[in-house]
Amino acid sequence: MEAEVLEANILLPTHLSFKRIQMSEKYPKGHARGRHWKHLKQILQAENYQIYSSNEPNYVNIESPPSMYPSKKFCDITGFEAPYIDPRTNLRYANTDVFKCIRSLPNEYVQRYLALRNAAVVLK
Amino acid sequence: MPYATRPSRQSDYNLFDSSCPIVIDNGCFNFRIGWTGESDPRITFRNMVQRPRHKATGETVTIVGDHDPALMKYFDCTRSSHRSAFDGNVVYQFEIMEYILDYGFERMGADGSQVDHPILITECVCNPVQSRSKLAELLFEGYGVPSVAFGVDAVFSYKYNQQLGVCDKDGLAICSGLNTSHIIPFVNGEPVFEACCRTNIGGYHVTDYLKQLLSLKYPNHMSNITWEKVEDLKMEHCYVALDYASEVRLFQKGAKEAEEKNRCWQLPWIPPPAEEPPSEEEIARKAAIKEKQGQRLREMAAAKRSSRITELENELQGLEFLLHQLENVQENDVPSFLSETGYISKLEIESAVVRVTQSLKKAKREQVEIEEKMDPSMTEKYTLINIPDNMLSPEQLKEKRKQLFIKTTSEGRQRAKQKRFEEELDRERQNELDEKKRLGKRLKVNGTHTNESHNSSGGVGRGERLNAAQKERMRLLTTAAFDRGKGEDTFGTRDEDWQLYKLMSKDIDDDDEGQDEDEAELARVTSRLQDIDPTFVAKSEIGPFQTIVEIPRFRPLTKEDFQIILGVERFRCPEILFQPNMIGIDQAGMDEMAGISIRRLPLKGNSVEERITNSILMTGGSCLFPGMGERLEAGIRKIRPFESPIRVVRASDPVLDAWRGAAAFAAAVPFSEQTFSRQDYYEKGEDWLRRYNLRYTF
Repeated sequence: MEAEVLEANILLPTHLSFKRIQMSEKYPKGHARGRHWKHLKQILQAENYQIYSSNEPNYVNIESPPSMYPSKKFCDITGFEAPYIDPRTNLRYANTDVFKCIRSLPNEYVQRYLALRNAAVVLK
Repeated sequence: MPYATRPSRQSDYNLFDSSCPIVIDNGCFNFRIGWTGESDPRITFRNMVQRPRHKATGETVTIVGDHDPALMKYFDCTRSSHRSAFDGNVVYQFEIMEYILDYGFERMGADGSQVDHPILITECVCNPVQSRSKLAELLFEGYGVPSVAFGVDAVFSYKYNQQLGVCDKDGLAICSGLNTSHIIPFVNGEPVFEACCRTNIGGYHVTDYLKQLLSLKYPNHMSNITWEKVEDLKMEHCYVALDYASEVRLFQKGAKEAEEKNRCWQLPWIPPPAEEPPSEEEIARKAAIKEKQGQRLREMAAAKRSSRITELENELQGLEFLLHQLENVQENDVPSFLSETGYISKLEIESAVVRVTQSLKKAKREQVEIEEKMDPSMTEKYTLINIPDNMLSPEQLKEKRKQLFIKTTSEGRQRAKQKRFEEELDRERQNELDEKKRLGKRLKVNGTHTNESHNSSGGVGRGERLNAAQKERMRLLTTAAFDRGKGEDTFGTRDEDWQLYKLMSKDIDDDDEGQDEDEAELARVTSRLQDIDPTFVAKSEIGPFQTIVEIPRFRPLTKEDFQIILGVERFRCPEILFQPNMIGIDQAGMDEMAGISIRRLPLKGNSVEERITNSILMTGGSCLFPGMGERLEAGIRKIRPFESPIRVVRASDPVLDAWRGAAAFAAAVPFSEQTFSRQDYYEKGEDWLRRYNLRYTF
């Protein structure tokens, strides 16, 4: 190890006296381990919330419902209020200048702008 | 963010009694750990782990928290970036969590055989029991912790501020963190989780949105727009607009206030050295050098030519001498004599003489030509031509004859050249004429056709639906469709087979057909207009679909090209906390959530609701944006009845109050009654753990 690295003291020691099982014993080197964790979605599925009373708060039912306000349309490029939608790219735009700009955008950028509001075409 | 300095290892671990709890605020952004009863956490670091491979030794090392990126040159980080133990706001990767806890305890100075202190650790609201039990298990099994308690960070923060007198016992905690935002109502000092509300949006989304917008706006500076830098920009410049629509209109109009609100980030830029036009002297000097070099080359070539001529002359002389000698030699001795010279027969020598004389002639001619070119006034070359014969000596006469010959031949050559050139010109003229004639004919033909159904692509006669190319395509398609099961399939063995697809592909004719129709229509309308108004001139207008691509002229880059301007983005990005729809998340924003939370309260009664809205506390890192309180107040005022009391306050320290509240909570005497031990955990089981809830008031 370089002196600079040791001095910066950034590395976690491999042996810690207060641990019952050291990390190296728990996860031995060279052992290919599959994915041993569940993602949040899987955790929530395993929780089986539907068997409990709906009055009881749980991770799923405390989530906010969709907004009651009508969603406002904003220009994808500038953030201004957007009265228009370009039928070709589906981007929202505020004025002619922005329209010129979006017509000159390459498709990759159009898709990235759409992806910002989760409206991009997703190929599966 | 300039990386936080690495926390130093605490040395006073052994001074604390084993009954003194360790308090951990396990936030998505920062991990804070410290002792109960103290005002600040001892250790704070970014809640993330990186496991790069050390380049020199090849071993995988673990780095927890933020660090100096300059040190990363010693590590191979290609396969491991920063990893977090959180999915949303729930801990799900316990291996990473273990590294983080390791580091936290190690920095605290733990050095015994186990961590012999009760632990109070924060979790999210309504943490799934699986995550909670795994974490408890890790603490019991991994570190030998005697007892554990779980609490909600936002609640600790509210309770802490209640003690400080910032908010009342009935109220609303608005907590916006890294990944999620929560609203938790309080009644009589206890959180009402039945009525709380979560939107999956937080500071992470704001940073990400800002990063995406900037990198789309400035694609040239993508490499400068790093996550850390954008996070920095967000913390420094972003604010929440009181009314997004009016604020953005200000920018759209280009008002002066808007310009003042722009922030500019100047990227490192070094002006290119200015290039001065070369001076007269310089140009002259360069020309002189060039001339000199040319002269030298010419001299070299001339020297080479003359040396070749002398060489050839020498050879010729030698050969002639040889021939002369050969005549004196006896017939029988010829072979022996020749064997010394390297020639086989007299004939060969003669042919060599011819060859050498020819090349000599050629070389001399070349020289002459060059000289001709060098001085075009050739008159002095032929000095003797114009002098009458009787005035010349016999030698001069010989010279004169030679000069005459050279002159006539060179003139003849010149004439031939001239003639060839003229012929070429003539031919070209003829071609042009032909072309014109043909064009005229075609114009005439088109003129008669313009009024009829004109189709410039041609080929479609009356009563036919397809032109020749389309017909051929159809034929290919049909043969391809029905050509099955006839013998073995040999398609593709020859390269030409693949040409078929080119012929079949639709886009040969499909695209420009419509355009042709349009053009025909345009021609029709133009001619009609010209009938009505003879002065009408068809102007090719550029429609919106045919934007001319301007060739970008080369322009030296200026300082302005290296500036990143933050204008609308400053408040557009935090706006997603109030309008998650902007980034495609279909959930209520912060202000609306408050209303939902109040609606969800189980015990109704106006007085409760009024008391709650009179003490709204903002906590969490994303509540640090300027203008947040005003916006929340305005938003909540909209959904509450007229003249409801509304008071929004910011926590004394939105970031640290959760840990301080937890530390204060753990310092109170009844804390030990609310913890559970390893034995409890194994005896009571998961269902008990699910129902496990801290009582926050004593």
